[in-house]
Formats: sequence, C-alpha cells, structure tokens
Amino acid sequence: MTASFYDVIVIGGGPAGLAAAISAHDSGARVLLLEREARLGGILKQCIHDGFGLLRFGEKLSGPEYAERYMDELRAREIDVKTLTFVTKIDNTGDGFRVHTVSRGGVAVETARALVLATGCRERTAKQVFIHGTRPAGVFTAGTAQHFTNLLGLQPAKRCVILGSGDIGLIMARRLTLEGAEVLGVYEAKPTPSGLTRNLHQCLYDFDIPLYLSHTVTRVFGADRLEGVEIAEVDETMTPIPGTERRVDCDALILSVGLIPENELAQSLGVRLDPRTKGPACDGDCMTNVDGVFCCGNALHVNDLVDYVSENAAQAGKAAALYRPRERRLIELQPSDDLLYVVPQTLDLQRAGDALTVYFRARKEENGCTLEITADGKTVFSKRYAFLRPPEMEQLTLRPGEWNLSETSVVRFSLRRPEQEAQR
Amino acid sequence: MKTATLNRKLQQLYGGRVTASAEDGCVVLRGELDDWADVVAACQLAAKKNSTHHVLNDIACPNAKDAPMRLPPDEDRSLDGDAPDVLVIGGGISGASIARELMKWKLDVLLVEKEADLALQASGRNDGEVHPGIDLGKGSLKHKYIRRANRMYEDVCRELDVPFSRVGQYVLFQKRALFPLIALYAFWRKHHDGIEDTVLLSGKELLRREPQLTTETKFALYNPSAGVVCPYGLTIAFAENAVTNGARVALNTAVLDMTVEDGRITAVKTNRGTLRPKLVINAAGVFAEAVAKMAHDRFYSIHPRRGTNSILDKKTGAYLQSIASVKDLSVHGKTHSKGGGVMRTAHGNLLAGPDAVETYEKENTETRPESIRTVFDKQKTTLPPLSECDIITYFTGVRAPTFEEDYVIEPGRRTKNLIHCAGIQSPGLTTAPAVAIDVAQMAVALLQKTQAVEENPSFNPVRKGVPVLRELDDDARDALIRENPDYGEIVCRCEEISKGEILDALQSPICVPTLDGIKKRVRPGMGRCQGGFCSPLVTKIIAEFLGTELSDVRKSSAASVITYGRTKDGEGGGAQ
Amino acid sequence: MKELVCIVCPRGCRMRIAEENGNLQITGNGCKRGAAFAESEVRDPRRTVCTTVRTAFPDVPVLPVRISKEIPKDKIFDVMREISRTTVRTRLGRGDIVLENALGLGADVIVTSNVLNETESERRKNDGTSACADL
Repeated sequence: MTASFYDVIVIGGGPAGLAAAISAHDSGARVLLLEREARLGGILKQCIHDGFGLLRFGEKLSGPEYAERYMDELRAREIDVKTLTFVTKIDNTGDGFRVHTVSRGGVAVETARALVLATGCRERTAKQVFIHGTRPAGVFTAGTAQHFTNLLGLQPAKRCVILGSGDIGLIMARRLTLEGAEVLGVYEAKPTPSGLTRNLHQCLYDFDIPLYLSHTVTRVFGADRLEGVEIAEVDETMTPIPGTERRVDCDALILSVGLIPENELAQSLGVRLDPRTKGPACDGDCMTNVDGVFCCGNALHVNDLVDYVSENAAQAGKAAALYRPRERRLIELQPSDDLLYVVPQTLDLQRAGDALTVYFRARKEENGCTLEITADGKTVFSKRYAFLRPPEMEQLTLRPGEWNLSETSVVRFSLRRPEQEAQR
Repeated sequence: MKTATLNRKLQQLYGGRVTASAEDGCVVLRGELDDWADVVAACQLAAKKNSTHHVLNDIACPNAKDAPMRLPPDEDRSLDGDAPDVLVIGGGISGASIARELMKWKLDVLLVEKEADLALQASGRNDGEVHPGIDLGKGSLKHKYIRRANRMYEDVCRELDVPFSRVGQYVLFQKRALFPLIALYAFWRKHHDGIEDTVLLSGKELLRREPQLTTETKFALYNPSAGVVCPYGLTIAFAENAVTNGARVALNTAVLDMTVEDGRITAVKTNRGTLRPKLVINAAGVFAEAVAKMAHDRFYSIHPRRGTNSILDKKTGAYLQSIASVKDLSVHGKTHSKGGGVMRTAHGNLLAGPDAVETYEKENTETRPESIRTVFDKQKTTLPPLSECDIITYFTGVRAPTFEEDYVIEPGRRTKNLIHCAGIQSPGLTTAPAVAIDVAQMAVALLQKTQAVEENPSFNPVRKGVPVLRELDDDARDALIRENPDYGEIVCRCEEISKGEILDALQSPICVPTLDGIKKRVRPGMGRCQGGFCSPLVTKIIAEFLGTELSDVRKSSAASVITYGRTKDGEGGGAQ
Repeated sequence: MKELVCIVCPRGCRMRIAEENGNLQITGNGCKRGAAFAESEVRDPRRTVCTTVRTAFPDVPVLPVRISKEIPKDKIFDVMREISRTTVRTRLGRGDIVLENALGLGADVIVTSNVLNETESERRKNDGTSACADL
C-alpha cells in the first residue's frame, strides 16, 4: 500500500471537481484529484446537447466540450489525477485526512490537509416517487437512458412516457425523439414545470411533445418489458385523485423526478446536512461544519447551470488551498418559507469583510417581488426580480462586512411581494 | 369438526352455495361463491389445525380467475428422454436445499425451475428472518423443524459462504398489565414447546440495547436465536453447491403435464422435452397443488397470500441491530403471518414488512401503495425514526400456505414415486435445511425399493462464494486486487461492487448473465441509486463476457429487453 | 402579435413580436441576441443539432457531434438521417469534421469530444507503464 501527501484532495472529477482542483492548484496547493470513473468529466460526458458555458465562456458548448476545456487546463498544470479510483473511507486525523482508495493498482491511502467533496448528485428513482405495479425492464431514470443513448449508442425506448419536467427529462424527450422514438408526453406532478423555460420550448414545443402538468405516473404494467403506465391527475398536495386514472401504452418510462446530492462520504465524516438542500451546510468558503472539509457543486446543492458549479467549485478549491485551522465564528443565514433554500447556510464573522456569493431559489413562481435580507430586523440588502421560478437558481454577491454583524445577529432572507409592498 | 356440523355452518354462512364432504382423507369443499375472501373463509372454517385431512378447495369463483401460469418462451428438446433418478420441481429454497442434500448420495438429480433464475418467487421475496419459533406450538410440522433447523444455521451458512447473523428478535409490549400473561406464555413455550432461550426484558433494558426503538415499551420478549440471512443468496448457494457436487439445474424449464400409470409418474412433459424421472419431488411453491394434480395426487389446496417488504437506505441500518416488532394483543383474529416487523438485513439495510393479504393470483407480485402504508403505519410504532422517505425499493412475494397453515412433507398418497414438499411458508426459509434432510431421506428410502442407493463419499459441502471486497480490510483487499486487478475497479458505487466480483458471478456454477442475475449474486444495483449509474456498465460487462451485442443483454427473462439495438446504423460507411 | 420565449440563454426572456409593414417590433428581450433570435424565429427559424455518430471502435461505440452552425428547423431530421448513415473509422478529436457541408446547408458536422483519441493515448500510456504495474 502506498501513501502520498497533498495539501488538498478533491474527490470527484466532474465539473465541480475539475474547477476546484484547478483553482486549488492556482492558489499554490499540491493537489490530487480522485475520480471513480475511467474518464474525467462526470455527467457532462453524456450531456452531448449544447447550452453549457454561456455565462462562463460566452459560448454555447456541449457538455463534453465544456468538461474538456477544464480537463485541458488540468493537464496543462500537471495536476495529479487518479481515475478509476474509488474512495472507500476517510479518516479524520485531526490535523488532516487519510483517504483510502481502491483502484486496479490496489488499495492506497492518500493524505491531505483539506478535502474538497465534489461528489455530485444522483437521480431519484421510481420507488422513491412511489410508483407501484410490476418490475419490468424499460423503467429508466433520465440519466440512465442518457447513458445508454449517448455513450453506448443504444436505443432505450421506442414509445415512451416521461415523468417529471426536470431539465434532463426535457433534454431526453428531444434526444429520444431525434433518435426515432415517439415521446407520448411529459407528465409533471407539480402545477408548474421543473425545467428551464428555454428547454420547454426547444425540447418539447419544437417537437410537438405535450406537457401535462399536475399529472403523475402511479403504476407500471408489464411482466417482462414495460407495456404501459397508469397516469393520474394530482391535487395541490400532489396526491393522485381517485377516478382520474387512465392507462397509456408505452414501452419505456423515463424518470426525471429530482436529483439528490451524494453525501455519503461527507456524512461518514460527521458533516451536517441541510434538510432543504440535502447537501452539507457550509459557510461562505464552502467549508462544512467539519474543519478542513469543503463541498461544492451539485454535492452542495443541485445547480441549474454548470457555469455556477464551476464558479462555486473554484471558490471551494481556493478556500481549501488557503485553509489553515482557525476558530470560526459562524452565524446562520436563515431563509424564509418563500425560499426553497439559501446557500451558504452560515457566514463566518472572521471573513465578513470578504465578498459573499449566495445562491437561492424561490419555493414557487413569483411575478414581481423583492428579495430582502435583514440583519437583526434591519434591511441590509434588497433586490427586485421581475420573476422568480424554482427551476432557476439566483446568484447574488453580498458585502456582509457592511451589516454590523455580531455573534448574536440574526440574518434572514425573505421575499416581499407587491401586495405586501403596498401595505408598507 | 364433523362434516355434518361443518355443513350446517356453511349453510348458515353461504346459504347452501358451498358444501363439504369427506373424501379419501380430505375435506372437499364444492360450490360457487362470488368473492374470493368468502372462498378463503369457507376453507379456513373447514380446516383443522395440524390435521393431515387437508381441505381441498373446489369452490368455483368466477370473479377470481387467476391468469394461466407464466411460461418460459423457450421450446426445445434439450431434456427430451432425460431420466434422472430424482426430478426436483422448483428452484426456491426448498428445491435447492433438497437438491443439495440429495447429492450426499450417488444420484442423478435434475432441478427444473420455470423462471429465469433461482429464488425468483417467494424465496427471493421475503424478509430473510431466521425464525426462533416462539410462536409455533407443538404438533405442527413447522414446530417439528424450527428448532432443529434454527440451530443448523451457523454451520450451513459457513459451509455455503452465505452471510448470516444471529441478531436476536424483540417482541415489544406496551401494556404492563400483559406482563403476567406473557411471562406465563414464555414459561409454557420453554417447558412445553422447547423454545428454551426466550427471556423477558424490561423496557429500560430494551432501550439500552436498541435505543431507537419506541420508548413506549413496558417490557419485551427477547429471542436470541433469531437471525438474518440473505434469502436468495442462501437459495443460490444451495443450488450452486448441488451443482458442483454433480446435480443439474435447468432454468426456464416448466413442467407442463405428467403421465401417471399404475400409481407411478412415468413421464413429465416440459417445454424442453419429456423427462422420465424415477422419482419426482414437488417443491413448486404456489404451484404445488397444480403439480400434485398433474401427478394424480392432489390432497391439499394452496391459497396464495401476498406480502410486501420495503428496503431502506443503508444509512438507516444504524437505527437497529436486530429484529423488532410491537405486539398488539388487542386485535384478535387470524392474521396468519409473523405480523411483519423491522429488521436490519444481512446486508445492513433496514427492512420493514411484510403485510399479509389473501389473493387468488399466484403470480401477481405487483406492489400496491396500501401495503407500504399498512406496514409503515404499524412499524413506526415499533421504530419511530422509520420513514417512507428512506425507502429505496419494495417488492411483493406470494406465500403458498395450505388452509391448515402447515407444511405438507410426505410421500405421495396415491402416486408412489412422488414426494410433496408443499405448503411451505414462513418459517419455510428457516426450516429448509432440516426439511431437506428429511425429504432426501424419504427420497432415498423410496428409491431403495427399486434400486441400490449408495452414499456419495466425494460430496463436498463447502461452497466458495464470490469474495465480498468491501468487507475486507485494506491489506486483504489490496492482496486480492494485486492478484486480480478487476477487483480494484468499482462498478457499483452504492454497494461498492467491483468488476472482478461481477465477472466471478458470471463464472459461478449457475451462470445467470442478466442484470437481475448479477444483482442477486453480487449486488450491483441493490443500493440507493437502484442501478441508475451501474446498469449500463454491468450491461457492458455481461455483453463483453458473453461476446454478444449490448442489446442482447436482458434484465431477467428472455422478453425483458433493456435496449432495442443501436441508435445508428452507420451503414453508409461514412466519410471518414 | 406573437409571443415567444427566447432560447438563446437560460434566462428564457418572454418576448413579444409585432409586425408592421414588414418591420418587426420586438419587446421583452433582455439583450441584442434575443432580438436577433426573435427575428430569425419569425422569418427563418433555425436550430442547432447535437447527436452522436457511430464509430468503428468498440471502446467508444458512438462519438458526440454537433453542427457548426444552425440549420433551418425543418431540416433537423434530414441531417439526423445523414449523420446516422455515417461511421467514424479514424480516431477523430474535438473539432474535427465528420461531415462537411451536410446536405449542402453550409453546416459541418463536428466532433465535440476527445474521447476517441484520449482513450487511445491512455491505452498507449498504460501499455507503456505496464512494466511497473507490480511495484
């Protein structure tokens, strides 16, 4: 068994890990990037559609092109990379971390002062949205269908139903249509679409694929291969309405019903998760409650655009490179119920002087509202939005140094709607 | 109950639509009812506990017509004319354990299973509890086997390289007033029924051992001999060990009909030709009655009963080390199930279930939302942190009980070269190793009437399973990877399964090169992503191993197509 | 009056287009690219195509490609058919052209990933270092 010493170990070689490793290297750290798959790039390898990188590069790139730009950067810096290398466990030694890995070469232990967890997210499955019935072939998560189609060149469906209007679902509706499959419809349990508006247009409406809101799949039929699904209308609580069930014959069900940050390694280290994001609760440096453990990208919270992932990961990589054990004085950033979440979840008063990048999502569609941040009841920041949609993440740069914060301060994020404004 | 008394009761309940008659050692019920629940109730009324005079259900129920038995698509002559000493029908825990036991003699044994793999029905769709037998009274076959079989588990699982742990079982009571009653019950069990290890614990002691269980517990029964095993893993292991000792296993092979002449089965028709076995063992689960009928030896009836289990994320495995359930004595009446509970499985997941619902459909394993609800409503009172949000999968199995709710383990009553191993339901997994010994002895005794049967001196009881690398320490794992680098290439991230383990499963004695076959053997796809990430990778490994197209790989059965071929024909040759 | 959602960037601006004497009045766009998109959407709707092309290499059975510029929307399936007929038989890299001027529409089909030549170079590298594999 071998052991090597690094300043920073980045776990995960997708867009977050790539950006974190490059940024940590550029901040002077000796970096090791660990990736469990054979190739770097993460899920972008199979996202062959374009639209990536508009914010970052001002270009419409495909997923592989976006990832490979970072891979080229990584190679140019000669950063240590181990692919097909799987992290089995991590010991926290108090002054660093021992990362146990498995690869074709055997078991190895790598040591670092700081860790960046860039482990991405996974898809929710049929059983996690309580689809009942038989267990036939032909029920795929959108990502699995995308893997079969785009990496293996195989056709997972001829006549399919898509459940969930998340972006991957919409992208796969178009992709499968282009490859000759008939997409009978996209069904969404929520009353509003989950994907980006432009994807509704360029993936569904361009191809006359119908979108059914407030509908869900409750059951699947077929002993061997899927033969049909049962569709039902749902009420406001997303519960199927009895009597509205109907059967749609199809040979595949593609699920795009949400992503969950993968944080099993983080949890094994004692990292506390935010139930709202299902990712670690972090401070403005992307550091979790465990000193020296940083988290970024979709492992931290599910992003809508990879451009934000890269930005956030670069910040985490830099912070990890500059990390030295120190006392933190954390105060919470509290989202109101109008907001799905706010990331980061905490702010370190020691670093209050620095600019703070904050991401948030509205809980439901809002037309014309104001985001308001209060510190100890006093409004310290506000911004008007023409509209907010839950699928679209918003990003802000704040200057908490100007807010006169103390350790007992309460910082709240909330939305003010026009009717509330009128009352003021 | 006398037949006349029974008929009077049936007359009261069903107005003459059902009648009973004693025929040939059976209680035969005839007539017609609209509701399957009434059919079951009528037969249960007629059934006598521990009786060998079984209820035969001949009540027509036009509203409850089961679909015909699902058959494998294959049609060939590969087994035509085959004349094994013993034909075992059914590749569940019973058939597999019997086949292995038979290999201790010099016998030609053929096991046929109509499904694409072993343990695809009840044996692969149960909770994996090794029962202590606390609820079984003297006089039943279940009781006869339970203690003997329970004690065999360490040895059997060591020999067969199957994970087993004796984690113990807690039965929780929330009313202090019940204590004297339960104490008496435990005393009776110990001294009358030989369940000698049961102890009573205080609620406080229970919480010291299992802090996440409900604090409402006033006292608990503790059965230290209860354990957990991987039920399909054990079935496959039995069958593999049988095969390495010379048995043959034919999957996708269904028994369609039999010829019986002079009280002997002379021919068994399958989709792979007609067999001429010397002896037939009926271990056909929910189809045992149908097989008995084909063999002109139908003297019991099977009434299918569904049960659904949920598997939770491994993260929740920390909630519980053992098996637990709250017992509520306020509900009287027959539930005919161990009532469901929560347990940590042999693989470290939390499992909740099963429920018990009568059904006429022998092969309908669809899951239904109400099953999950029933189980979770009940088991949240056992284990408060239990949550539906942590479910990663759920599945339904169909039990195969007789109306007497006991096993039928005996030679044919009319047909001489036949042995029944029927009515096997909970605790059928537990009792299988002991039942197999008796059935094998019965088989040998029957065969010895017409031929010499010698012991097999070269029988090797030891099976080497696929190494489980995630359970090894770093040094042992490193050593194995250096021998075989495929053990270092992780394919399934959730369960940490390497390519090497998958290739081992493909080279195991009973190769089932499908996604489900591999999943059952080495677990890729059993984790929280349910194969989302690894199923394309496993598909690729299988195709490479078989040398076939990726689209030829199946989920399970021949018709369970995963992909419909290539998206691109590329026939034009192209510019490059 | 026509309403349109801009698909140029993730913002998804909702635009209104009115036509007067052949002149387009566009409102609601957040930037110039949006206006250009709206105009094109009314006069000559165009889309890009991203798909895969089959290869002759078993390790990478398909290679991601896109077209170098947008094509008329109604030609998407024609271009898909043309790409489907093609097989890549050399280890092309990112930016390499698979099909030049597909269907005479002025757009080339170009490779968007280095996966083919990367796996090749990695294979060579692995072969080269196999001597120290048993360290």
